[in-house]
Amino acid sequence: MRIGSDAGRKPLEVRWRRSVCRAVALAALALASAVQPAAAAVVIKAVEWAAGSQGSTPPPDAVWLKFDLPYRWTSAEGSSLSPLALRLHFDLPAAPSEALAAFIPVDTDGGRVSVNGHFVGAIQAPDDRTHVQWQRPHLLAIDPTLLRAGTNTLLIQTAYRAGYHVLGRIEIGTLGEMSTRYESEYFQTSTLTWIGATLAAVIALIFGVIWVRRRDAITGLITLAALLWCARSATFLVEIMPLGMRFWMRLLYFATKGGFAAVITILLLRLANLRNRREELMILIYAALGAVAFVITAQYAAPYLDLLWAPGLIAMPAFAVVVALNNRLRARQAPHWIVIAASALIFVAWAHDYAAGIGWLAADSTQALHWAGPLLLVALATPLVDGFVDILREAESARAELETRVREREQLLKRNFERLRQSERAQAENQERQRIMQDMHDGLGSQLLSSLMLVERGAVSNEQVAQILRESIDDMRLAIDALAPEQTDLGSALGNLRFRMEPRLRAAGIELIWDARKLPEEVKLHQDAVLPTLRIVQEAMTNALKHSKAKVLRVTLGVEKVNDATWLDIRVADNGRGVMNENTSGRGLLNMRNRAQKVGALLNIETKAGAGTVVQLLYKLEAATSGGPNARSENTQLNTQAIIERARMT
Amino acid sequence: MSTEPISIIIVEDEPEFRRRFAQIIESEPTMRLAGVAPNKREAQALIERENFDVMLIDLGLPDGTGIDLIRSVSQRKPDVDIMVVTVFGDEQHVVSSIEAGATGYILKDSTPADVISCIRLLRAGGSPVSPVVARSVLRAIRSRMGTSSTTPTRSSNPENNPLSARETEILQLLAKGMSFNEIGEILGISPHTVTAHIKKIYRKLAVHSRGEAVYEASQMGLLKT
Repeated sequence: MRIGSDAGRKPLEVRWRRSVCRAVALAALALASAVQPAAAAVVIKAVEWAAGSQGSTPPPDAVWLKFDLPYRWTSAEGSSLSPLALRLHFDLPAAPSEALAAFIPVDTDGGRVSVNGHFVGAIQAPDDRTHVQWQRPHLLAIDPTLLRAGTNTLLIQTAYRAGYHVLGRIEIGTLGEMSTRYESEYFQTSTLTWIGATLAAVIALIFGVIWVRRRDAITGLITLAALLWCARSATFLVEIMPLGMRFWMRLLYFATKGGFAAVITILLLRLANLRNRREELMILIYAALGAVAFVITAQYAAPYLDLLWAPGLIAMPAFAVVVALNNRLRARQAPHWIVIAASALIFVAWAHDYAAGIGWLAADSTQALHWAGPLLLVALATPLVDGFVDILREAESARAELETRVREREQLLKRNFERLRQSERAQAENQERQRIMQDMHDGLGSQLLSSLMLVERGAVSNEQVAQILRESIDDMRLAIDALAPEQTDLGSALGNLRFRMEPRLRAAGIELIWDARKLPEEVKLHQDAVLPTLRIVQEAMTNALKHSKAKVLRVTLGVEKVNDATWLDIRVADNGRGVMNENTSGRGLLNMRNRAQKVGALLNIETKAGAGTVVQLLYKLEAATSGGPNARSENTQLNTQAIIERARMT
Repeated sequence: MSTEPISIIIVEDEPEFRRRFAQIIESEPTMRLAGVAPNKREAQALIERENFDVMLIDLGLPDGTGIDLIRSVSQRKPDVDIMVVTVFGDEQHVVSSIEAGATGYILKDSTPADVISCIRLLRAGGSPVSPVVARSVLRAIRSRMGTSSTTPTRSSNPENNPLSARETEILQLLAKGMSFNEIGEILGISPHTVTAHIKKIYRKLAVHSRGEAVYEASQMGLLKT
């Protein structure tokens, strides 16, 4: 069925695949670059920590504990908001002449920031009513007049709540340098999360609509994965929230984290044609474990879940990728290469984030999954888009094929129709030829033959020979008048007869009255009926001329409507002596009757001795006209219609 | 009518008919036989040489059709009446002759009286017509107007229809087999006027078909303008 050109289908698909591959490669590159800090900046690697009361400067006798950065600590669930002062020292070779800036990485708790005892800025920190979890970096400019050569001190006064905390390495550099660093980090954390969420929303919308129509499992799973990704992104994008919302946001975080891992794992397995209910159930149970544990331990488990439960989640897609890869290599049903690659990327990104989160990596960025998630969704969409494009192409080629077929059929029909018409024409010509032959045979031919015999016998005078020849010519004229190229008009043909007969009648002392007032402009008789009708009228007039001894001959032509039928009414009436004996002048009458019968006309002859003769010819027109050429063309149309219908059905 | 005799030439290939027509004309004191030609070539010489009022011409000449002669004479000598001699008076021959410029036709077996009266009719500014020919003229004009023959008067386009309403009416009556006298009575005109109308119709048909021929020729690139 598919005959669409392969040359035409490649570019789109190739372009699509290439762009996806490129995006995957770019993401990998970005992952690598994300761990690189700015080169020329001062990176603060240690922090001094003192517990204290919120908002107040720590007293001089405060106990400062020293830690390396990044510093991670977990505050047990149930502990209240704890005020905290962080002191960081950094050395400058000389007093700066331009503004510097402090770059505070993600995961900070915010707080009031001062340099060398001077306030430089504040970042929203948790308080009694609000919870804060910064997922974005911050940048604070520092006036150069506040700084000096040698050691400077950065003080952050903040507070923290129960949970897992990270203080990343704060960097000090020129404002320009730090701005770039900040922009790049901001893009990778916040902007990318937005982009990923938006992409996921679009995919969810498109596949959701398809799923609503088709209820197909793969489409449904892709929709679900995209929706889970949207929800997961929300837990990152909402950074400041009322305290009461924190529980739900954390629950959503665990639920979507597990859910997304489970859904993509099941999806990959299904694409690899692995559909095991028990396996899938186990995957789902494990995925739900996080949220369940979070709820039943009243949030106590939260810090440990990321540490202990997450590796299992990361392993799930890895397992699916191995299965899929195995299938693909063994040429069994497997997900598309792009899907496998993107799934592998998910595993790598997630593992990276996990490792960075617990401090196994030098880098402290934990945002690689923000790239990988949406990429996987796009990759999952690829084969479906391919399939959709294929289907479209198939439909197009099928339509083209259908059109070609219909065209061919039409050509065939046209040819058939042409052949039909030709044969019809040939038939009509044949009929015409036969009619003329018949006419020659009956009319002129026999007349000439009998005349020849008379002449050969020597039984006729010169005058009689002239008479016979004249009659033969008359008969021929009649035939020619009846043989008009288009449609013979009876009125005109009769008119010609009239002007031919008039001088002869006049010579015999008979006045001809020709009344054609009731004759319509054109009378269309069936072709076969014209000549017999003309002959009958001629015969009647000749009889009157020869035998009647009349003074007046009246020919009345008319068309009359009686009931629903239209009748041609021709009367030839003389005031002569009448037909005395039908036997003596009977040959002409018999001829007339035969001719009338042949064409289905009614012939009445009324004659009374001494009172003249009336010959009346009645011919029903309706049947004759509708049986003419018009009816024939209608018939062919019907035939053609039937042929077309039959062709369409087969 | 002028007192001068009507001078006539005859173009006819059959000697019997040529002699017959020559006799008819020579025996008529108001007419003069200006010459006879048995074929196209001689006819052309005769046309160049002689002055004449009427040309009797047979269409089927041994060296070509008479239609060309009719056309050239009707263009070069518009005062000449051209009368076609035909065996049957069938519409095809007559109508194509009229389109070439003939204004009359006569049957080969016509009586001498018919021939004489027909020539007189022509010189008096009239034209003969048979019902079938009248019908054919109507059809020829209608087919040029591109309208169906059943509803002629209503749908006729005045720009394409060269005939006046009166002329069309006369043709219609003629086609029904009415005589000049009857038509004259119906329309309240003299029979002579009726025949004059017919001649006018013939001329219009000739001019019209000539214009059409020129147009078609220029469309085909036959004429360089």
